[in-house]
Amino acid sequence: MKTKLTLYTLFLIVIGTASCKKDLDLDQKGVYNTDNYFKTETDIVNGVSGIYNLLQQEDYISHAETTFDVASDDYWRSGDHSEDEAIENLTYDASNAQVNYSWRYKYETVNRSTNIILSIQKIPTMSAAIKARSLGEAYFMRAFGYWRLMLIYGDVPIITDEDYANLNFNIAKSTTEQVRKQIESDLLKAIDNLPESYGASDRGRVSKGTALGLLTKLYMYWEKLPEAITTGEKLIANSNYALAATYTENFTRANVNSTEILMSVQGLQNVVTNDYTIYYIPRAWGGYGFSQPLQGLANEFEANDPRKAATLLSVGDQIDIGDDANTDTFTSDLSSTGFAFRKYAVFYPFGSTEGSGPDHNYAVPLMRSADIYLLVAEAKIRTQGAGAGDALINQVRRRASSALAPVSGAGMAQLIHERRVELAGEGERHQDLMRWDKVNLVNIAAIYNLPISKAPVDQGKTVTFLRPKHYYYPIPQVEIDKSGGILKQNPNY
Amino acid sequence: MKKIKKAIAVRNARPVLQFILLMKVAFLFVMVTCLQVSAHVYSQQKFSLDLKQTEVSSILTRLQKESDYRFFYNYASIKKLGKVNLQVKDASIDEVLKAIIDNRLPYKIADDHVVVFYDPENMNAQLTIRGKVVDKNGLTLIGVSVKLQGTNVGATTNANGEFSIKAPDNGILEISYIGYEKQIVQIGGRTSFTVTMAETNANLNEVVVVGYGTTKKIDVTGSIASVKGSDIQNLPVSSVTQALDGRASGVNIVRNDGSPGAASSIRIRGTGTINDANPLVVIDGVPSSNPDALSDVNPNDIASVEILKDASSSAIYGTRAANGVVLVTTKRGTYSQKLTTTINAYTGISHTTKYIDLLTAPDLYQLKRERYTNDNVTIEAPWDDPYYSTQRTDWQRAILGTGKVNNADISITGGNETSTYYFSSSYYDEKGILDKAYFKRFSTRINSEHQLKPWIKVGQNIQLTYGESNSYDNLSSQTGLLFSALRFNPAIPTVNDDGTYGSSKDFANQLGDINSPYATIQQNDAYNRKYRAIANVFAEIPIYKDLKFRANYGFDGTIGRGYQFNIMDTNQARQTTNSTLTQSETETYSNLLDLFLTYDKTIKKSHITFTGGYSSQNFRGSNFSAARVGYDNATTAQRVLSQGNTLLTAAGTADDPTGLQSVFGRAFYDYDGRFLATLTFRADGSSRFAPGNQWGYFPAFSIGWRISNEAFMKDIDWISNLKLTGGWGELGNQNVKPFQYISTVVVGNGYGTNGYTFGGAGANGAAITKTANPDITWERAAMTNVSLEAGFLKNKLNTSVTYFDKNTNDMLIPAVQVGTAGLLTPPDRNIATMNNHGIELEINYNGGNELKYSVGANASFVKNKVTKLYGPNAFIGSTVYGRSSQEISRTYEGQSIASFYGWKTAGLYQTQAEIDADPSLSNDSRKSAIKPGDVRFVDVNGDGLIDGKDRTYLGNPNPKATVGLQTTLNYKNFDLAANFTGSFGLSLYNADRMQGIDPTYSFNLYAETINRWTGPGTSNTIPRMTLDRANDNYRTSDLFIESGNYFSLKNLTIGYTIPATLAKKTTLSNLRFYVSGQNVFMITNYSGYTPELGYTNGNVQRGVDVAQYPSVRSFTFGLTVKL
Repeated sequence: MKTKLTLYTLFLIVIGTASCKKDLDLDQKGVYNTDNYFKTETDIVNGVSGIYNLLQQEDYISHAETTFDVASDDYWRSGDHSEDEAIENLTYDASNAQVNYSWRYKYETVNRSTNIILSIQKIPTMSAAIKARSLGEAYFMRAFGYWRLMLIYGDVPIITDEDYANLNFNIAKSTTEQVRKQIESDLLKAIDNLPESYGASDRGRVSKGTALGLLTKLYMYWEKLPEAITTGEKLIANSNYALAATYTENFTRANVNSTEILMSVQGLQNVVTNDYTIYYIPRAWGGYGFSQPLQGLANEFEANDPRKAATLLSVGDQIDIGDDANTDTFTSDLSSTGFAFRKYAVFYPFGSTEGSGPDHNYAVPLMRSADIYLLVAEAKIRTQGAGAGDALINQVRRRASSALAPVSGAGMAQLIHERRVELAGEGERHQDLMRWDKVNLVNIAAIYNLPISKAPVDQGKTVTFLRPKHYYYPIPQVEIDKSGGILKQNPNY
Repeated sequence: MKKIKKAIAVRNARPVLQFILLMKVAFLFVMVTCLQVSAHVYSQQKFSLDLKQTEVSSILTRLQKESDYRFFYNYASIKKLGKVNLQVKDASIDEVLKAIIDNRLPYKIADDHVVVFYDPENMNAQLTIRGKVVDKNGLTLIGVSVKLQGTNVGATTNANGEFSIKAPDNGILEISYIGYEKQIVQIGGRTSFTVTMAETNANLNEVVVVGYGTTKKIDVTGSIASVKGSDIQNLPVSSVTQALDGRASGVNIVRNDGSPGAASSIRIRGTGTINDANPLVVIDGVPSSNPDALSDVNPNDIASVEILKDASSSAIYGTRAANGVVLVTTKRGTYSQKLTTTINAYTGISHTTKYIDLLTAPDLYQLKRERYTNDNVTIEAPWDDPYYSTQRTDWQRAILGTGKVNNADISITGGNETSTYYFSSSYYDEKGILDKAYFKRFSTRINSEHQLKPWIKVGQNIQLTYGESNSYDNLSSQTGLLFSALRFNPAIPTVNDDGTYGSSKDFANQLGDINSPYATIQQNDAYNRKYRAIANVFAEIPIYKDLKFRANYGFDGTIGRGYQFNIMDTNQARQTTNSTLTQSETETYSNLLDLFLTYDKTIKKSHITFTGGYSSQNFRGSNFSAARVGYDNATTAQRVLSQGNTLLTAAGTADDPTGLQSVFGRAFYDYDGRFLATLTFRADGSSRFAPGNQWGYFPAFSIGWRISNEAFMKDIDWISNLKLTGGWGELGNQNVKPFQYISTVVVGNGYGTNGYTFGGAGANGAAITKTANPDITWERAAMTNVSLEAGFLKNKLNTSVTYFDKNTNDMLIPAVQVGTAGLLTPPDRNIATMNNHGIELEINYNGGNELKYSVGANASFVKNKVTKLYGPNAFIGSTVYGRSSQEISRTYEGQSIASFYGWKTAGLYQTQAEIDADPSLSNDSRKSAIKPGDVRFVDVNGDGLIDGKDRTYLGNPNPKATVGLQTTLNYKNFDLAANFTGSFGLSLYNADRMQGIDPTYSFNLYAETINRWTGPGTSNTIPRMTLDRANDNYRTSDLFIESGNYFSLKNLTIGYTIPATLAKKTTLSNLRFYVSGQNVFMITNYSGYTPELGYTNGNVQRGVDVAQYPSVRSFTFGLTVKL
């Protein structure tokens, strides 16, 4: 009996201790959350890096963004993404995969930026310089997200700080005008907060010049030409954003120290893959061979313009791709159009001790001062008449080659030519053409049906550019479906 | 304490493994328990006799011959009755006995036998009776209860099956043993005899395992399927899961991948939730944190598998029982059992069941060129190079070879008066039909039990497993291995003249940016290793009379190791620019403590059982991985982490905790064997939910009425069992990601983890990846169950029909993620509801005498419907297919989970006039680009253009009906067992064919494209050859929906047992040989590799063919030896 009593007691003790409540109140290890993160200067700096991180994501800048220039007469999609063909030939609908991917990444940029803008105000101790810079970066990045949204989709929802704080994301569209005002407001704050330049260890961050550049572009697309001139000239006047000595160095490893590059995707071998390189170089050389330049672009270059060789690989061109001691020859079987972009074909030279194959330590330019020079030139021509932009155009031409004859009394035709050869493959052409088409400076529908605007395999196709439908892409169908009626499709889709 | 446990598990694994390695060469064998059909018959016979001056004993002998009655009497006493006259017509047995015995001796009539009591004068003549009890095969039975009728005198048989008992020479012995018919033996003056026991025919006396105990099958009021271990042994499958296919109604085994060791999903009564819908797996009382635990168990160690299907039976595991419970009970020794050694061995080979017909190089070359001709553009390289019109490789046959399967195991079992033991070791080795794909398992099990003192019994189960496997990705439509084999150009050789592997690199945009599947296999160097210990110790203490206390401590720990070396290869289209070695280690373990009481009491006609107690289980996990990139010397000898040039990643987590706390109780009440009731309750706390929302309360009840035990049924002799049961209950599901009540911020370095690069150096980055839902709580499933069981023809024929209705409420689904939320993973919210209802039918017949046979058939009809999501048009999307990211499956409110979603078609446009006249294109800007030979899509919304708004429901991948059919035959020493399974009323989406006939891709094409549209009337299903995608002919549409119906012979086994006499001569007690075929044949119209496609994205995509591993047909030869 004694034994049994002991047992009962033991039983009760075991039950008592075992049912300790702490078995259910468990703590996570090694995971941060919003209650314990974004509380210090380091957290904020990391949060800002997190916004930049999106630039390198495949479904954002490197692949998704290039596809929005696929419709242009500069290059052909190549590859086996049928959704790209629909974008190229303007047969896409709201279910197109690229249209779909693009949306989320831009809003992620917007939301990560808003998080920093809201969090930074609550940091008790933070160096004033880092605080201003981080705030400026966040405002810029948010503006950049809306900028791409506005260009691609037109009217889009604006997630206010309050919406973000309440995790309220299912929001109706604002008008393009409102989105532009939002971008302008953020860029002005960015200009106030961002430094003009950075030391070596912060190379790759956006600067005051980046914000000025984007604001200039915004005004151009807004048709606020005088404002564009004012803003652009501030940038042009600042030696921190001077044109690089040579055109080519913008597209080599040397570009990492170029003053001309206002914004870039920074790469680092084995850490951050430079997807532009992978997507643009031929298959046989380790890339995917997408975005193959068209005959029309090759024809556009003047005979003595060295920018052609810097931009394009044509049949017979020599390049060291690092696989053996000989230089390699670009042959016709490497591309369906006969061309590839050389701009992004950066390789370790043969024998390099650093690595082999495509060089990912190279920065992909997303915005260059030359672009702003030409926009200001355009604004001057359009507001002050032919010849008003000559000085700026000639700065760009002279930098490309002293052999190029200076322009004189240049009108829009020369400007359009200059923008095309200077910025080929940098994602500007389709948007430029649409911008000019809207104000009757070009006929985009006719341009897109020229045989030299199409790849050999597309010669049998008619490309129909419908106005105003094709000025903007549709809102992703899946987003319309998910919003439960709050998000309305763009007209004509 | 935890640390010590882990250490033991690992340290012991080594010597055991060595021992098993030795066993590898050892011998094998197989045993099958044959069902024995009892000869007992009951009747209400009438007798007509006319006998003069006949010995009473002779009359009784004659009656016994002419009827089904058996008589037990003392010969001497009957002799004293002398000779009598008997003249009766249509008399009952009662009347006959009255006439002949005439009250001179007492007797008693039972329903199948008559006992004539002995003369009281002889009562005290006690003899020592010795006997031996054997089964029909002459094997001794140990632990059989022998009792002198009408007394408390009893004995049990010893290890040799012998007993001795003091009894009067005219006494009557009752001999009983679980699973066998009770024998009534008249001593009749004998002092030594052998009793042959016959196995029970029906399942009615069977004991089934339920949570925290066992119960008799006849008392079950819930819905429990029971599969005997003997039915699923020595099948050439890596996991018992596969062996269960078709064996129980309401249990659908979903094969997801045919790779060796690949886990199948178990769906009990449909897919109950969008979340983890696998049932809880409990192995010998240890609930596993991971359903793949079943593949760690040697199927030959399994005594039985019970599947708790309804709320009432599974509510005792309320915590995790919403998807049903699978209870695995392994074999144990029994007390006073002679040592028995069993050796099983089998070996076999396997092949794919199917190849897909693809174009050969000359035909492909022709069709590729036709695309350009049709589009009126210049033919591109390399389609102007005749090199690509020469057939060089059939890629399917280049990679699909012969698989092998080998299994060897030994078990030793026995026991003495105070201890029992079961020890087994096994080795299973399956090599897939793809080279280097394999699954190996070494396992050892030790189960024992000890009656230490009359008041305490202790025991333990230990399973140690080492598993090693390798498999390929067969789900990706970019890099999947079989996908690559179906797409890779047939003009490319496996190996070039210079010794390099054939490659599409030079024309990757024309030949496909895929790597040679042959090269992928040759270069593969990877493995996964798993060390697992599942163990429990228990103590049972009878506290007071009918009240027992039981404590159970369980441990389940796994250490996993992964190794993957990706060799540098810039020769293939998808280059690997640098060699990388990744090694990883994961560790998960759980500790379980159960403390519970069992009370079992019979008071007059009432029988009460109560089980109740406390349970807690905690889980911990951690992982570590590191990778280095750049191997100057990539030979196998240098493929170690330290030899890599640059550290790529080094990452790890520690101590990810979750925990459960529970209190449970179950009361069972039986009145007179007629009225049954079970009441169950469980309260569970889960750490996966925020404090305040942690506890869930799960009640269930069920009642039963054994109609056949009612007095009014006594005369209906063709019905031997009739039971009506019904119940309702609520169950919980907490198997969602933990800590969802807290947001997540991910801080990392590099491409995928929010980091970036400034100034040429990697920088840490941070981002919010997940928002919080502080209100998250239990998902609940309420289930109603009604069942009618009936046995006929003395229980030779058993049937049951069950109706169930299961409503999953508060189902956790991710809050709708609008794109404006960016990449944020929304937390789950208790929003949705889902219904599964259906009918289950089972029928079993056992018959025959010399040729014994059994047939069992079951069918389940389940209808799944998502009854509520975020709103009427809301849906849950799924993974997308191919380069253009095609949506295939969407889960909508009002439809079945994972339904297909896309465009409807109405054949092909045959003429330009049809296109011009089609009102569906009247507003379509693409109209001018559409040509004859393109697909005519249906303008569902009638707006005159084809776009995303015309997409609609296309089909349901969940089978309406699944069936299983098992049959066994035994004739003399031969035995045969067959298992058929089938699925009906389901659609499949052949995504591989969608891409396989699409000429706009750069890949090889299905052979059927030779029958493409080439002019009016040539084809209405296979579009024209073109590179133009304006009409997007190969968008997700009903063109690629196929019926997934099939009926297959999953397994056929034919065995021969050598006669016992012959076996004895070889000193073996039993020897059986058999041959077995797995996936012997399948009847289906499905055109892909196999209609058994399984899940490809959680539960939200099913039945989508992405070129999964084909079904494998294997044939094995084996033997089972009992020493």
